Amino acid sequence: MSTFDVNEFLAGYLAEVEDHLKSARDHIGEVEAALREGRPHPRAVRELFRSLHTIKGLSGMVGADPIVDLAHAMETVFRAAERAAGRLPAQALDLLVQALAGIEQRVAALAHGRPVPSAPAALIAALDALPTVAGEPTESGRLTLEPALAARLGPAERQELELGVARGLRAVRIDFRPSAERAAAGLTITAVQQRVAALGQVVKVVPLSTPKSDAAPAGLVFAILLLTGETPARVAEAAGVDEAEAAAVAEARAPAPAPLPEDEGPALEPVRAGVIRVEVARLDDALEKLSALVVHRYRLEAALAGLAEKGVDLRSILPILKENRRQLRDMRAAIMRARMISVADMLDRVPLIVRGLSRQSGKPLRVEVAAGRAELDKSVADRLFPAVVHLLRNAVDHGIEAPEARARAGKPAEGLLRVECRERANNQLELTVADDGSGVDRARVATQAGRDAPATDAALLELLSMPGLSTLTEATTTSGRGMGMNIVRQVAVEQLGGQLEVQSVPGRGTTFVMRVPLSITIVDAFSFEAGAQRFTAPVASIEEIVELSPEAMTGAPAPAEGLAVRLLERRGEAIPVVALDAAFRLPGASGAARKAMVVRRQGHPFAFGVDRLLGQQEVVVRPLEDPLVRVPGVTGSTDLGDGRPTLVLDLVALSGAVAGAEREAAR
Amino acid sequence: MSKVLVVDDSQVMRQMVIACLRARSGLVFGQAASGLEAIEQLSLEAFDLVVLDLNMPDIGGLEVIEFVRSQDRLRALPIVVVTTRGDETSRERALAAGADRYLTKPFAPEQILGAVAELLDARAAQPG
Repeated sequence: MSTFDVNEFLAGYLAEVEDHLKSARDHIGEVEAALREGRPHPRAVRELFRSLHTIKGLSGMVGADPIVDLAHAMETVFRAAERAAGRLPAQALDLLVQALAGIEQRVAALAHGRPVPSAPAALIAALDALPTVAGEPTESGRLTLEPALAARLGPAERQELELGVARGLRAVRIDFRPSAERAAAGLTITAVQQRVAALGQVVKVVPLSTPKSDAAPAGLVFAILLLTGETPARVAEAAGVDEAEAAAVAEARAPAPAPLPEDEGPALEPVRAGVIRVEVARLDDALEKLSALVVHRYRLEAALAGLAEKGVDLRSILPILKENRRQLRDMRAAIMRARMISVADMLDRVPLIVRGLSRQSGKPLRVEVAAGRAELDKSVADRLFPAVVHLLRNAVDHGIEAPEARARAGKPAEGLLRVECRERANNQLELTVADDGSGVDRARVATQAGRDAPATDAALLELLSMPGLSTLTEATTTSGRGMGMNIVRQVAVEQLGGQLEVQSVPGRGTTFVMRVPLSITIVDAFSFEAGAQRFTAPVASIEEIVELSPEAMTGAPAPAEGLAVRLLERRGEAIPVVALDAAFRLPGASGAARKAMVVRRQGHPFAFGVDRLLGQQEVVVRPLEDPLVRVPGVTGSTDLGDGRPTLVLDLVALSGAVAGAEREAAR
Repeated sequence: MSKVLVVDDSQVMRQMVIACLRARSGLVFGQAASGLEAIEQLSLEAFDLVVLDLNMPDIGGLEVIEFVRSQDRLRALPIVVVTTRGDETSRERALAAGADRYLTKPFAPEQILGAVAELLDARAAQPG
C-alpha cells in the first residue's frame, strides 16, 4: 500500500495552476477583443480549453472539488466553442469571467489553508445552459497538403491556416526527422518547435511514420505546419534542418495587407525556453545559506586579525578578502534580483478585476494601466496588490458616480480608473490609483467620523484611515461596509515602510499615491523588552530562551570599566550573560533581567538578559537609512504595528561586539 | 528493471504519478511533457510501459496511442491512460485505439500501481 501525500505537491500545484490562470486571463481578454469585432479566435479558445482542463485535473488530485466543478463547466463551454471553430456565444463571456474569478478565489483559499467554498450552483447552471454556436464549415483548396497530413487537421486548425494565408502569411511545412544523434545534440522536436515558433505561429505538428532510412533512422517524421512571414529556407535554417526539409504549402494570396489586429498574429506565444519557476522559499533558503557564508567570512576576518596581532604578514591575503567581500555582496544582489517580478505582471489582473467591479456595481468603467518596466520583490508585490484592489473597489463604490449623475456633470458615461507605476530614484516605487469621480465628500466623512471637516488632504487621509469609518448607509457588494482605508495604510506605511497620500478634488476625482520600497526582508522574530525599550531579533539566530533565576546564576563580578557579566549554569556549561540594556548602554539600565536569549558565536554560547518577552511574529526589516549610523548588532528597524520604529538586532554580531569590548577593557 | 515513460504536460502530475509508482521496485522513469515528445522518445528508446495523459498541447494522447499501435516495434507496448474525469466517449475511443487500461484523475495510488504492476507482470510472463 503506497501513500500519497497531497501536501507534498501543494506548492507545485499552486504554481502550475497560477500559470494556467494567468494564461486563461490573457486568452479571455483576446477572445473578448475578437468577439467585439465579430471574429472567432480558435487558438485562444483552444488554449483556454487546455488550461481549464489541466486545472480541473490537478484540482481533482488535491481534492479541491469546487474548483473541479467550476473548471469542468468552463471547459465544457470551450470544448463546444472549439468544435464551432472558435466561436463563443456572446453571453458566455461574463459568465466565464465570473467563473474564472471563482476559481481564483478558491485557489487562494487553498493556498492559505482556508476551507474552499463550494462552487456557486447558479453560475454553473448558467454555464451549462449556454447555447452552442454552429461552426461555419470552411472551404479548403488553398492548401497543398498530402492527404495523410490534411486528414490530421481539425476544423479549427484548418481555419487558422487559411485565416493566416488570407492575411498575407505563408504556410510552411517543416519535416523534422528525429534521431539519437540529433537528440544528443539537443535537437529534439520540442527544441525545433521552440525555434520555429520564434518565426511565426505553429499551427500543428503531425507525427508521420516513414520507412526507416539513413535520413529517418527512427522511422518517424514530424511535419510542422507554421504560419510565418519568412521564407522556407530561413525557417529551415532557424529550425536546424536541411533546406530541403522545409517547403511552402500555401503562399500569401494577396500582397501583405494593412496590419491586422494583433490577436491572431504570429509569434505571440511567449517563448518559454530558459524560464523556470522557483518557489520563493527556495530563494529564501539560498539567501539564508548566503548569510551563513557572510558570518563565516566575519570569523575569517577575526581570525586573520588575530594573526596580524601576532605579527604575521597578511598583505597577500587582504586583497583576496576584499574581493571575497565584494563577491558575497554581488551574490546577495543576484539572489535578491531573482525574487523580483515585474510590476506589469503584478497589475496583469487589474482589467479583469475592473470588469468584475463594473458588473457588480452596474457602472460602466474604463481602466488605463501604465505599469512601466519596474520590478519589485515578490513579497512586496504580494502585500501591495491587495491594497491596489482595495483602492480600485473604493474608487468604484465611493468615487465614480452613477451614469445619470455623470451625464449631469458633463462627464463621459464610462468612469475612468487609472493605475500608474513609476520607479523613483531611491529604490522606491510610486503607485497611483486615480478615478475621475466625484471626489471625497469631506463634510460627510467628517460627520461620520464625528470630527471637523478636514482642511487639508493629509487631514482627510487621517480621517479616512480611521478604523471602521463608513460613509455608506448600506453595505455594497464590492467594498462591503466601510472604506477599509486603514487596511491600505497599514500595508503601505506600516508593513512596507512607505508613504500614502491622497489628493481629492470635488467633482474631478480622487488620486491615491503609494510610495513603497522595491524590496524588503521579512523574518520570523521574537520581540522583547529591555530597559523599557522594545527590540526584536530573528528567531533563527536564537538558540534558546531561558529563565534567569538567581539560583542558576553564579558569580557576579563587579563591573569595572566593562559590563556586568554574570554566568549562567546550563547543562554543565557556564554561559556569560549580559543585560541587553547594559550592552547598549541605555540610561537607567535596570539589570533586572528575567529571561535570557542564548546565542552561539564561534561555538561559544553567549546570553543577553531581557526584562520581558513580548511575542513572536513576522517582521519586515527595513535597513537603517543612514549608512553612517551603523551600530554593531543592529540590522535594521521594523514596525510591530503601532507605528513606532523598533530595532531589529543581530544578537550574534552583538555578542561579538560585546566580547571585543570586554577584551579591550581587560587590556 | 523496467522503463516507464510518464507523459503529461503537467510537471506536478508527472511527479504525482511517479510518486505512486515508486512503491514498486525496479522501475526507472522517463518523462515527456507533450505527445510529440512522447512519440519522439518512444521512437528513439525502448520502454516497457507508457503512462499517458490524453489532453496535452500540440497532439493529444489519442494520437499518441494511434501512432504507437501503427508501429510494428511498439504494437505490444502496454499503455495506461490517465485522464481527467472523462466523458465515456474518450474512454471508449482510447480503449478502441489500443489503450490497455483507462484511469481517471483523481486516481488512488493503488489503482495506478495495480494497473502498471499487472501489465508489467503479464509482459514479463510472455516469451521473448
